[in-house]
Amino acid sequence: MTFMGKSAQGAQYTSTPGAGSDPKRWLDEHGDFLYRYALMRVRKPEVAEDVVQETLLAALRSHGAFGRQSSERTWLCGILKNKIVDYFRKLGREASFTDLQFLADEYPEKFVAEGWWVHVKGPKEWQPEAESALQRDEFWQTMRDCLGKLPQRVADVFMLREMEEVGGKEICRMLAISENNLWVMLHRARMALRECLEINWFDRKPEGRP
Amino acid sequence: MATDDNPRPPDDTSLIPGKTWLGKKVMLFISYHTPRCREVVRILSQGMEHELPLSMRMKLWLHNLMCCWCQRYMKQLQYLRKTAHAFPKKVGETSNEVLSPEARSRIEQALRRDIK
Repeated sequence: MTFMGKSAQGAQYTSTPGAGSDPKRWLDEHGDFLYRYALMRVRKPEVAEDVVQETLLAALRSHGAFGRQSSERTWLCGILKNKIVDYFRKLGREASFTDLQFLADEYPEKFVAEGWWVHVKGPKEWQPEAESALQRDEFWQTMRDCLGKLPQRVADVFMLREMEEVGGKEICRMLAISENNLWVMLHRARMALRECLEINWFDRKPEGRP
Repeated sequence: MATDDNPRPPDDTSLIPGKTWLGKKVMLFISYHTPRCREVVRILSQGMEHELPLSMRMKLWLHNLMCCWCQRYMKQLQYLRKTAHAFPKKVGETSNEVLSPEARSRIEQALRRDIK
């Protein structure tokens, strides 16, 4: 895959830091990678293009900050995450992030009235699959599909928390939601994702997987 | 808790499955003093956000002795976090979208302007 070849070039570059900023090469080697992540998060191509541009401009202005310890791609990805967070900070001032309909969903079929799991529908064992799954492109595709099934605002909140790794209190400030609402949204998102990954990956025989 | 209309499936790996007389007594004790599963999973998710009080962590530990499902759920929450942390670097492998030539040249111009 050409994609893998490009990341290998990126790794080579790290052995000679200080080779000077070369934004044209950043765009050639990492542009599509950055664009795909940005597009998944902001959903609109024209916004994603702007986010990539801002990322590379910020990288250009702070090139001295690129240390030996991380690869060029990791460094650019970190800047992109900050730009994505900026985008949602701005969006949080304009849109409501509390998904009341999703908050009302209690997964009644998973628990008996007394609150125990319906045992035959309880979580299955994911080992020993869990570690090797991370090496498979198809697993990441499943992950993406499962994230795509969450209501949009809930997915936004979950990804801000777990992909861009923004702290809970900061998310509440950014999106003007209460801490309690954040916890409920994260809890429901985790429950739905767990369920989706189990059904579509871990509980399937390898030949039945995507 | 296992009852006739909520049997424990064959893959039950709980340390205390409550099959013996003593096991049943221990299970009753635990279920009396700890939250039910529906509540446990909510608390486990909150535990991903901030450290839970020691007393609650002990209750969860006790609960998990007799409930392999909540124990799996806890491990899977940690796995979800690890997976989501790793996802940004893998997103590129889940789509074929590329920057359009127009966007590419627009970004290139912006970068060139900035160098000057």
